[in-house]
Amino acid sequence: MRTLRMPMSREDARSLRAGDMILLDGEIVITAGLPTHHRILECIERGEEPPITLRDGSLLHLGSYSRDTPEGGLEVLYMNPTTSTRFKPLMPRLIRHFGLTAVGGKGGLDRACADAMREVGCVYLSFLGGGAPLHSAAIRAVREVAWNDLVAHYRLVRLAVEGLGPVTVGIDAHGNSLFETLSAQAQARMPAILEGLARDRAAGAPDHA
Amino acid sequence: MPITYDAVKALAAELYSASLRRIPEDTKAALRAARARETHEGAQRVLEIMLGSALRAEQTDRFVCSDAGVPVYHVTLGTAARLDGDIKRAVRDGFADLVATITPPLLKHVTNPLTNERGYAGKDMPLITWEVEDGADWIEIACQPKALGSGRWAALETFSFPTLAQIEEYVMRVVVQAGSQHCPPVIIGVGIGGSFDVAARLASKATYRKIGSPNPEPTLAAMEERLLRAVNATGFGPMGTGGDTTALAVHCDYAAGHGYTPVAVCFNCWINRRTRARLHDDGRVEHME
Repeated sequence: MRTLRMPMSREDARSLRAGDMILLDGEIVITAGLPTHHRILECIERGEEPPITLRDGSLLHLGSYSRDTPEGGLEVLYMNPTTSTRFKPLMPRLIRHFGLTAVGGKGGLDRACADAMREVGCVYLSFLGGGAPLHSAAIRAVREVAWNDLVAHYRLVRLAVEGLGPVTVGIDAHGNSLFETLSAQAQARMPAILEGLARDRAAGAPDHA
Repeated sequence: MPITYDAVKALAAELYSASLRRIPEDTKAALRAARARETHEGAQRVLEIMLGSALRAEQTDRFVCSDAGVPVYHVTLGTAARLDGDIKRAVRDGFADLVATITPPLLKHVTNPLTNERGYAGKDMPLITWEVEDGADWIEIACQPKALGSGRWAALETFSFPTLAQIEEYVMRVVVQAGSQHCPPVIIGVGIGGSFDVAARLASKATYRKIGSPNPEPTLAAMEERLLRAVNATGFGPMGTGGDTTALAVHCDYAAGHGYTPVAVCFNCWINRRTRARLHDDGRVEHME
């Protein structure tokens, strides 16, 4: 399994194909908050940079519990993905504006996002939901936490990680999306699935029915 | 010896904490069986990682998911149980106590739906369903924290005198709508009939049932079996990135109704948070899982 350096280079992003599984080393930026996304967009509107740079970097839909340590540092007690689909109307602009090379979380993003990702050379990484023990163990250091007025999992956090994953490339930088393909496949299979249900009902129907 | 406020409070807290750290045995067995059956290579790997995550959570006593959800309890009161103290307040205080003392701390997920502000407490929290069991000398508390991943995709539609085909087609529609988003493989609860609230409660309660324990009514057992096959034929797979395992179980239940028939469908994600225990009148605490 390949281990890729984060922030991911555009070349690495373009080398990946939907369905690949990889591990991540390096630095990632995470948040699980919708208000956080709105604040980033407000920064763009005002022509300002967000407090943690996203330029050519990653923005992953991972929620974390971070707190101050007695030594004056920060620690993340646990981390896990959240469902990305609720951020989908906001992501194309963020992907294009910052030239993100990696986004991710769980559940995927839509076609508009996949188009933006293809334009800039960006992949969507699907993390294991219910993977907090594994994801948290990959954290090496907390580099920065911004917007501390928000609840912990909404804050923008920059982390150093080692061996984070495996994660699945859900959408590649060439416009291929597992989520779109699987949804279309399920729709296409539905007539046959419903016929199968009808057959099973007929075969299993009790005599008195 | 009556069942006390203190005993209920302690148990409510304990069940919540345990549900965050341990995946039920039947669920781990179902994941292992799914791994053995799975033909999709990526899905095999995802199922292995799931089992690894479950094991690590147990070994390190950590949360499986960072989203501890909101507290959902199902309490059954036995009519022969002797109660001493405010049982409703005990469940509420048990959760409040847990929030104050649990390690690691919980994230704030209790949300005011009118303002979207989040905290640890809120109106009508914890969400408790009450039931009565005639003659029983115990109180049973079941706990099932619900989070966005699986809670978000539940749905209900009301039909007039539907056929089984219509009911099953609706279940499949909800499954496709949830698609890759609810941390599959899921446990699916289906509630048919009764009234709006009863159908939803039946569906929710059906997700508490152990995997491998079909509904005793043959009509529903057959429905569960064929719906499970149908759901797994969709191909969404573990974490919705493709595979043969989209659901570990489909559990159906029904209540007689009027003919306008609500059909409720809900999900529990692969970690299947679920704990249950009984406080007996003689002071025993019986952990059912």
